[in-house]
Amino acid sequence: MPDPQTPPPVRQLVVWRHDQVHVPDDFPGLGDLRDDTSHGRLLARSYLRAQLGLSLMCLAIALAATASFPVICALAPAVGRITLAGLPLTLIVLGFAFYPVLLAIGWFYNRQARQLEARFTDLVDPQRKQHDA
Amino acid sequence: MPDAMIGAIAFVTLLTIMVGARGIRVARTPDDFMVAARQVPPGINAAAISGEYLSAASFLGIAGLVVSQGLGSLWYSVGYTAGYLVLLLLVAAPLRRFGAYTIPDFAAGRLGSRGLRQVATALVLVIGWFYLLPQMKGAGITLQWILGTPYWVGVATLGVVVSVNIAMGGMKGITFVQCFQYWVKLCAIGIPAIVLLMATGHDSARNLAPEHSPVFPQAMVVSLPQATDFTLPGPTEATVTGLLGQHQFRSQAVHLCACRYSAGAGTRIAFRAGAPVPVSLAMAPSSAQSWDSPLLTAGTNGAHPLAATYGVIIATFFGAIGLPHILVRFYTNPDGEAARRTTLIVLLLLSTFYLFPAVLAVLTRLHAPELYLSNDSDSIVLALPSLLLPGLPGELLAALVAAGAFAAFLSTSSGLLVSVAGALSHDFINGGVTSFRWCAIAAGAVATVAALLINRFSLALLVGWAFAIAASSFCPLMVLGIWWRRLTRAGAAAGIVVGGGACLSAIVATMLGAATTGWGAVLLGQPAIWTVALAFTVMIVVSLFTQQSVPANVNQVMLRMHLPEALSRQAYQGTGRL
Repeated sequence: MPDPQTPPPVRQLVVWRHDQVHVPDDFPGLGDLRDDTSHGRLLARSYLRAQLGLSLMCLAIALAATASFPVICALAPAVGRITLAGLPLTLIVLGFAFYPVLLAIGWFYNRQARQLEARFTDLVDPQRKQHDA
Repeated sequence: MPDAMIGAIAFVTLLTIMVGARGIRVARTPDDFMVAARQVPPGINAAAISGEYLSAASFLGIAGLVVSQGLGSLWYSVGYTAGYLVLLLLVAAPLRRFGAYTIPDFAAGRLGSRGLRQVATALVLVIGWFYLLPQMKGAGITLQWILGTPYWVGVATLGVVVSVNIAMGGMKGITFVQCFQYWVKLCAIGIPAIVLLMATGHDSARNLAPEHSPVFPQAMVVSLPQATDFTLPGPTEATVTGLLGQHQFRSQAVHLCACRYSAGAGTRIAFRAGAPVPVSLAMAPSSAQSWDSPLLTAGTNGAHPLAATYGVIIATFFGAIGLPHILVRFYTNPDGEAARRTTLIVLLLLSTFYLFPAVLAVLTRLHAPELYLSNDSDSIVLALPSLLLPGLPGELLAALVAAGAFAAFLSTSSGLLVSVAGALSHDFINGGVTSFRWCAIAAGAVATVAALLINRFSLALLVGWAFAIAASSFCPLMVLGIWWRRLTRAGAAAGIVVGGGACLSAIVATMLGAATTGWGAVLLGQPAIWTVALAFTVMIVVSLFTQQSVPANVNQVMLRMHLPEALSRQAYQGTGRL
């Protein structure tokens, strides 16, 4: 889009310096998110999908690890009768063992979610690191 | 013995009021009252969330239910913890970044509708009041057990203390109170559990056998303070003094058959070692499945235990997302990343706490089987210390437990009352600090009166029902609102009304005794197994039919919820608002 304020063409001298090759507006980034362009929407969508995928994966692991226990015991009643050191397996699993599992999944999720955010920030705002530095 | 306990309860209550009062000077604007001005670091905030969350059900209810119904009841404590993992995965950071105060604020801000806000507010009141009832019941039975006062005295005491404290201090004070309450509760359940474990050892593992009927590890004289109906699982010889069945005995050897007996107040029965333990009707297991079964039977009279277990799993895993008094705490985090950190610390704090109700339940089963003659499974935790550890140490532990129990009622009901009163004054009356104060007192009075009517339900069961309602209404609203662009206000309102309404109706039907056997008992007694799916389905289908009313700013709102703060600040500098 030509700018009405641009000087006449004869006077225009364009010098491509090395650090100007990537003009920010050519590259989908912060501006696209701000202006809600189709590039911006695509970026936002893929980022959201990545975050949702991570959450659902962690949720699936958590459910598989915990909520499968009643079904396993219903299908194989022998499992529910196991005792370890005189304590019923049910007590060990429901009373103690599930908690570290839940914590580990939570810790893993926090780390991954933070990394996704950092990667997306690098992608849409490559100068941000320089700003921060 | 009561002196130490009364002293401990009075101490906790006074300390709560004093710490809360410190907040009065700081809290001046409605914002201060409602979310403590968002200045709370993650460690303190996590302890405050946990303190607010660990209610009478966690402190007294779970252990009692495990003793009477079996190990499957531990699904309640697993679920109450796992609910925070689900909350962390789906809701924590986006909700904080959205930046609203309450669930109705979120609904209105995300979907832009005044009608929807009112629907959400009505549901906050339903869930809040439902959750307040078991706290009041807990206070009632605790004071009843310690002082022998009528049930209503404890209920009214808690109602007055909490309403007045909230009306005076708001939540600025309460954040520090809640934080302090978590540590009180952890000590009050952890120290007795560890001390009793060390004091008793574990030489009588016989009672951990899968049979639902424990035996006396050694000869024991059981005295019944009040008239009790009990069943004896097997025949035995015992020496009886007092009224048993139709007869008055005076230190006579009696052959007792495996059947049901009525004992008068003051009756003493001396059992031999290895005799089967009598079980009061209030403590009788609701199904014939073994004590170590991983399935859960409370609330459904033992029908279809596998389905009932999944009902509780769904309700507790997905219910925490929809609890109004918990979500409001996430706005007190400085940013989304801090909200995630806070939630992980909450998981850690809850996991630590929930180790101990299981320990206390197992200790009861091993060493204090006479508690199977209690008239209410919820009072077991209070009775255990002085039974296992006679003399002064036992009394001190009992006082500690009583103080922790009271801390549990105080903190959870305070948080709930802030939410209920906030919803009333903010959304229905549109008033400021003064109306908030009056709403707190009115809401507390309503809960106190209602609590007098629900005495016969177990604490864990009542709280589980509050979770079921939250999971069937606010959980789909929050999850779809945060992750699905195409949610519309009509879809959200329809899902909340249909899901929450169906769940509430099923629970009320169960309370009134509608269906007590078969699938009816399961579907009404643990409704989350179908109402959560129903709410999600209705919300999605109705939204797909009303796509013309998807909010115009949905893309910006989604970005604002999901982008890191620094990025979304930059992306929206200039556009100014959302």
